[in-house]
Amino acid sequence: MLWVDKYRPKTLDKVLVHEDVAQNLKKLVTEQDCPHLLFYGPPGSGKKTLIMALLRQMFGASAEKVKVENKNWKVDAGSRTIELELTTLSSTHHVELNPSDAGFQDRYIVQEIIKEMAKNRPIDTKGKKGFKVLVLNEVDKLSREAQHSLRRTMEKYSASCRLILCCDSSSKVTEAVRSRCLNIRVNAPKGDEIVKVLEFIGKKEGLQLPSGFAARIAEKSNRSLRRAILSFETCRVQQYPFTNNQVIPSMDWEEYVFEIASDIMKEQSPKRLFQVRGKLYELLVNCIPPEIILKRLLYELLKKLDFELKHEVCHWAAYYEHRMRLGQKAIFHIEAFVAKFMSIYKGFLIATFG
Amino acid sequence: MLPFILRKTYVPQQGDIRKWFMKQHDKEKDNGNAPKPAKPALAIPGKASTAKDASSSSPAKSVQGGQESSGRRKTSKYFASEKQNQEDAKEASGPTSKRKVEKSSADVQPPPVKKLHTVIDDDDDFVLPKTGKSSAEMTPSKKLKSGSGKGIPSASAKKETDDVDDTPANAKSSGRGRGRRGGAVGGRGKKLENEEGDDDDDDEDAKVVKSGGRGRGGRGGSAAAGGGGRGGGRGGFMPFGERKDPPHKGEKEVPEGSPECLAGSTFVISGTLDSLEREEAEDLIKRHGGRVTGSVSKKTTYLLCDEDIGGRKSETAKKLGTTFLTEDGLFDMIRASKPKGTIKEEAPKVTIKEEVKKQVEKRTASLPKPSPHKAVKKKDEVHEPARSESLQWTEKYKPKVPNDIIGNQSLVKQLHDWLNNWSANFANGASKGKGKKQNDSGAKKAILLSGTPGIGKTTSAKLVSQMLGFQTIEVNASDSRGKADSKIEKGIGSSKANSVKELVSNQSLNADMNSTKQPKAVLIMDEVDGMSAGDRGGVADLILSIKMSKIPIICICNDRYSQKLKSLVNYCLLLSFHKPTKQQMAKRLAQIAKAEGLQVNEVALEELASRVNGDMRMALNQLQYMSLSMREIKYDDIRQRLLSSSKDEDMSPFTAVQKLFDFNGGKLRMDERFDLSMSDADLVPLIIQENYINHRPCSIKKDENGVQRMNMIARAADSIANADIINVQIRRYQKWQLFPSSALQSCIIPAALMHGSREVLEQGERNFNRFGGWLGKNSTMGKNYRLLDDAHVHLLSSLQFNLGRTTLCLEYLSLLLKHMTDPLKSQALTKDEAVEKVVEFMDEYSISQEDFESLMTISKFQGRPNPLEGVVPAVKAALTRAYNKGSKCRVIRTADLITLPGIKKAPKKRVAAMLEPLDDGVVADSDVAQNDENNSDAEDLEGTGDGEEEKPKVDIESLSSKGIQIQMGSKAAGTKRAPAGRGRGGGGAASKRKR
Repeated sequence: MLWVDKYRPKTLDKVLVHEDVAQNLKKLVTEQDCPHLLFYGPPGSGKKTLIMALLRQMFGASAEKVKVENKNWKVDAGSRTIELELTTLSSTHHVELNPSDAGFQDRYIVQEIIKEMAKNRPIDTKGKKGFKVLVLNEVDKLSREAQHSLRRTMEKYSASCRLILCCDSSSKVTEAVRSRCLNIRVNAPKGDEIVKVLEFIGKKEGLQLPSGFAARIAEKSNRSLRRAILSFETCRVQQYPFTNNQVIPSMDWEEYVFEIASDIMKEQSPKRLFQVRGKLYELLVNCIPPEIILKRLLYELLKKLDFELKHEVCHWAAYYEHRMRLGQKAIFHIEAFVAKFMSIYKGFLIATFG
Repeated sequence: MLPFILRKTYVPQQGDIRKWFMKQHDKEKDNGNAPKPAKPALAIPGKASTAKDASSSSPAKSVQGGQESSGRRKTSKYFASEKQNQEDAKEASGPTSKRKVEKSSADVQPPPVKKLHTVIDDDDDFVLPKTGKSSAEMTPSKKLKSGSGKGIPSASAKKETDDVDDTPANAKSSGRGRGRRGGAVGGRGKKLENEEGDDDDDDEDAKVVKSGGRGRGGRGGSAAAGGGGRGGGRGGFMPFGERKDPPHKGEKEVPEGSPECLAGSTFVISGTLDSLEREEAEDLIKRHGGRVTGSVSKKTTYLLCDEDIGGRKSETAKKLGTTFLTEDGLFDMIRASKPKGTIKEEAPKVTIKEEVKKQVEKRTASLPKPSPHKAVKKKDEVHEPARSESLQWTEKYKPKVPNDIIGNQSLVKQLHDWLNNWSANFANGASKGKGKKQNDSGAKKAILLSGTPGIGKTTSAKLVSQMLGFQTIEVNASDSRGKADSKIEKGIGSSKANSVKELVSNQSLNADMNSTKQPKAVLIMDEVDGMSAGDRGGVADLILSIKMSKIPIICICNDRYSQKLKSLVNYCLLLSFHKPTKQQMAKRLAQIAKAEGLQVNEVALEELASRVNGDMRMALNQLQYMSLSMREIKYDDIRQRLLSSSKDEDMSPFTAVQKLFDFNGGKLRMDERFDLSMSDADLVPLIIQENYINHRPCSIKKDENGVQRMNMIARAADSIANADIINVQIRRYQKWQLFPSSALQSCIIPAALMHGSREVLEQGERNFNRFGGWLGKNSTMGKNYRLLDDAHVHLLSSLQFNLGRTTLCLEYLSLLLKHMTDPLKSQALTKDEAVEKVVEFMDEYSISQEDFESLMTISKFQGRPNPLEGVVPAVKAALTRAYNKGSKCRVIRTADLITLPGIKKAPKKRVAAMLEPLDDGVVADSDVAQNDENNSDAEDLEGTGDGEEEKPKVDIESLSSKGIQIQMGSKAAGTKRAPAGRGRGGGGAASKRKR
């Protein structure tokens, strides 16, 4: 089993980072009632872990008896019926789903399926909790319409159902939804926290950690605990015993984006743009979300860029990222960004060096 | 823009021309064919040369002061003879002047001409202003390229060009005035296609220089400016990869010879020519009456090539003894066709329009290589054709006998036979006719002719019937053809539909009386695919009619695959008419032209034929229309006319994109651009998006470092991205009113920015617009997401993992793969150990073999090592085996992945099984225990070591049945006790019991 999964704390008491949050949650739940919750924070900060631990706290071990279901739903939307496929993870007490998987039809999931689930009160065994919990992942990816549909559901069925929302950025969740929830911010863990966790794992696994090695991994992980543990294990698979200057590998796709960035910096020509397009397609085809590509690309470009251009380039990246969300064919927008960058950068180079 | 203005100035004259024709008629009767007496010159502003006109009554001179010529051809001579310099009375001839006198105010049109000219200069939108500059800009390149003296005269300023005029002797005689011309033309910034424009104002200079190739410089100039401004509507389609640019592209001046000087010669072009693009060369040859074919045959007169590249063409040519001709040779030939004398006095080369007789005499006398038969023909036939008849040519020259029909003779024959045998086949059996049914072709009671419009279907049907003595009854779309009332009596005399039915069902009275010689009738149902809403039940009724018909029925349609006719085709003998070839058409057109006294050379007619896309009717109409305004029609006329008003043909999105991106794409009118981009509103934008990078915008003049081009690309990309946003609004929110904006943003703006010559960005790529890559990539992406989804569900069901699929893809994937592939690659582990380790890992995360594959696919990046690289095939095979071996115990977890053999796609509804937490050993056990036979499998799993040794056997036996049974398990799933194991176990159990 991967270490990330193996050493994921199962209960609120065992968490290593965000102990304060965990304790607060525990108190909240033990007082027998809990409001709707919205967990937000950067990826790899432990939102999901907290949620799972919270569920266990609420329902006991039975919350871990989960069933995976991949179901087709037929939703009646006026004149036509829409077929939706949705994967849910459910126990007797909670249902977890990812409504944004349905793409632009997520509205129907919220309107029909979630409502349907929220309506049904769980059979009350032995006077346990009188409500069920719906865990919705990636709420920030929900379309505006879907979020609007959500807020009514939150109020109307609050007697029988609690929602736990989980997302990376709360700014993409509408005000209305946010105000109906208890917002819990889960910070990205600090470097030393990550080091602590890594050392804990190292000890459990009986590994020799050279001093500073964990710190390097933590630094490279960009404050994502998950990333840190994953690359820690990757290092372990790659080479053991660790050496102090061991290369900490990055993800394949990140290296690929890095390649693209250096391609762009090296030459700005139609030919290069054409090659870059091919590489971008390659990333997209391999299921890398376009926003992440664009973000990473900007990150790599900024590292190499002259100071005076950074501002402008960031502006354009934001501009095209926004438009990409309005549009549908992501590649067009990324390509437009690359073309824009090339045009700016080339102009800059020539103005500077003649 | 050009066409628009042209039309404006031009159209109003048509009425006048008609009138004029009538007048001319009378006049010519009076005057014979003698040239009109010179009218007193009209005082037209801008014309300098009345004196000169007076001095030479020869029609050869068109002296035009500083007046820029219009886009019209062939006028100068005529007008000169008329003592008129007015360019724009181009349609007019002798009598025009008279008309002019009458309404000179209306016809004096220099202002429009001026305007026209200036507009032309910058009508290429998005182009940096180039009018005044172009000569200067052009020069460097010319100088660079030109090794010979030719280029030298192309000095940057007009002044210099004048100098050159004085020293024509310096230049090679064959290159007389070339550079000068180029320069001069450049100086004017002229990009007109019709070089005649230049002719006229070059005349003056041309007298000073020996005017070798006056006017043609226009082309040279524009070609130099941007790499071949011509190529017109032909589209520079190059199917065979990229051909090199001609080494001295645009440097030589292209000569102008007599229009018939190459008549009778057939050319084949091979390889790269010295200065002409292949299309240009083809154009040049055609203009001078030659033919250009694709491959060498006995008929080929010349093989045009500058370097012997030793391809198939030249081999064949050597074998056949074909003459090799270089480009210069060709130029010389053309030039030679114009004898000195003629040149000296500015011979009428192209511009004969009226007074044909005189012209012809002159020409035949002066031209060294006139095509004899043409000349004779002209002489013979130019005298008054029966013009006054208002009959349309299409009617007038309708085929009179079946043999006149162009093309499709075999079909006509078939039709003839069928009709001929019809009575034999059906006359007797008509009453009981249903007995013999549609077996052989003769047995069909009706016939269905199909083919594109204007290729003679109706005509054939009528002619054949006529010839066989049938009386034809034609019913077409103008008649109501709906379902007849059930009672025929009711309909008599009223509804046509009923009369049709009546017609076909009643045997004519006299038929009974006299069985041998009866006036037979045939029903021609024209345009059956046009049976529309108004003709409810029309087709069904027609079929009914066919069944009971006592007369033959000929149905005619355009599209035989039309949905409406689906039922009808079963009852008909199908004959598909083809388009006649352009040679066939040209032949017939030539006959007609001859009969009408029109001078058209064969090449021009072939061009016409190919332009109208096989539609004879349209060709004739065009020809008639042109005959109204000119007596002699030439290749260029046809090209020009049909450029704008060509037949709407089905255009592939590639052609549309090609036109938009074409070098001349900037000259298109806006509505044309919209038409092009909407010819396929889905594909054209995608193709544009795919290819815009490949075009080198011709609007950019100097761009050493490519900054401007990069800017253009950025703008184009931005616009394409805009279009994407608009498209979302259109499709998702049904805002179709944004459709034009979408077309504008996705096609027109990028094309306007980027249009120019296409270049290849990748080695070995064909220089032809690629199909939009987005569709393919998108579908691959969709597929990969599905695969990822499957894998994700399995990972989830392992309960070790509870994160989203994006996380899986972004962060887990690398490590997962490492765990799955590294042991296989490592040297430290033996094969079995490695495999075992991997299988164990996969089991832990419920990764199935398929998931393994799909994760591999997703993590593969082009240009990076495949994660499976370095894994020996034997190990892979071992892995598969080991996995399959262990798969029994995985039945529940991965049940949803297994498909039924009969059903291709995995059933939509997938249910993964419920799983107990792993640590709960008892539950797991009991879970398995419930599946009676499966039980043993589970035990095998538990007692791993020895269990596995036995499994192969089980596998072999159970493998075949496994698929289905496991599926059943998954169907029943959700419950723990998947009966899955049961049936399968049956096979397996037996063997296991042995243990």
